[in-house]
Amino acid sequence: MIARIRLAASLAIAGAALAVAQPALADGDVVCSSGPRENWKSINDLKKAAWLERWEIIETRIEGDCYEVYARNERGQVLEAFFHPVTLEKLVVFRRGSEVYRKRGFTG
Amino acid sequence: MIRKLRPLVWLLLALPALAMVYQLASGATFAFKLLHPTGELALRLMVVALMVGPLITIFGRNRFLLGWLALRRNIGVAAFIYGLMHLVFYVMDMGAIGPIIDEFWLPGIWSGWLSFALMLVAASISADWAVKALGPWWQRLQYAVYGAVLIGALHWYWLDNNAGPALVHLAPLFVLWTLRAVVKRTRRARKKAKEKESLA
Ligand code: HEM
Repeated sequence: MIARIRLAASLAIAGAALAVAQPALADGDVVCSSGPRENWKSINDLKKAAWLERWEIIETRIEGDCYEVYARNERGQVLEAFFHPVTLEKLVVFRRGSEVYRKRGFTG
Repeated sequence: MIRKLRPLVWLLLALPALAMVYQLASGATFAFKLLHPTGELALRLMVVALMVGPLITIFGRNRFLLGWLALRRNIGVAAFIYGLMHLVFYVMDMGAIGPIIDEFWLPGIWSGWLSFALMLVAASISADWAVKALGPWWQRLQYAVYGAVLIGALHWYWLDNNAGPALVHLAPLFVLWTLRAVVKRTRRARKKAKEKESLA
């Protein structure tokens, strides 16, 4: 009986530890340092920026403090691109998780 | 009891699939958006199927865990069906074979195919007659599911560049596997001590 309680307790503690550790593990998120939302350009402007890349947009969304665009390029490759919401600069682009573009000096 | 429960469990397992197909047919969503939920569900269900084994070793046989065990194969088959839907939506989204071949060797993609291949091994022998026909080999071949889970999590990590979600899904298994090892070791030690006592 005591052994079981001990087990249940260690399960609970392990679970809690993992829950606490989780945000620390989330290190892959792109950070744009874009400031308050009211200064952001509109999603329509974002779509225009992607259009200027000659991409076919699959989906746009807000990811953390970045604009994110899923799109297909002219070669049919699926890209996941992060744009700065204020400057609409293309910051970093992934292809199925592999980085294929990064703006010079961007470390976020 | 389980016999009565099984249709209900099947319905429960099928609900997300039905919702997805309905949303797709009604134009409320599109194939690309369904990649995440189908992949996640395939992985989650495999984890749920793998959890019951160590739980029984740790806590012993009780009605709840035995019921879970009896449903394990159903849960595994459901996981495979979501994996298959994931693949179908992937092909629908890509639309042509050229781009699929073109990106096959990206880490985030071949890992998905490998995980799927391992699921296919386990799922293809899920019928009752296969269990009987394969004997001890059935269990051995089912170990492919471990690989499917671990590589599925790797697939997620490579796609996302973020270990968090994949690790959270593996965490229950890591915790249970560790506890099972601990419990087994203490039991063995206790048994040895008893044997010594009875000899003395
Ligand atoms: C059949 C081969 C597979 C292919 C080609 C494939 C491909 C993909 C693609 C393209 C995505 C979308 C990523 C995005 O939204 O940007 C994805 C997501 C996902 N896949 Fe697979 N996959 C395969 C098999 C599997 C299997 C067997 C599992 C389960 C173990 C799995 C689990 C996941 C998960 C959890 C996600 C969500 C990750 C995310 O949205 O970032 N996949 N997969």
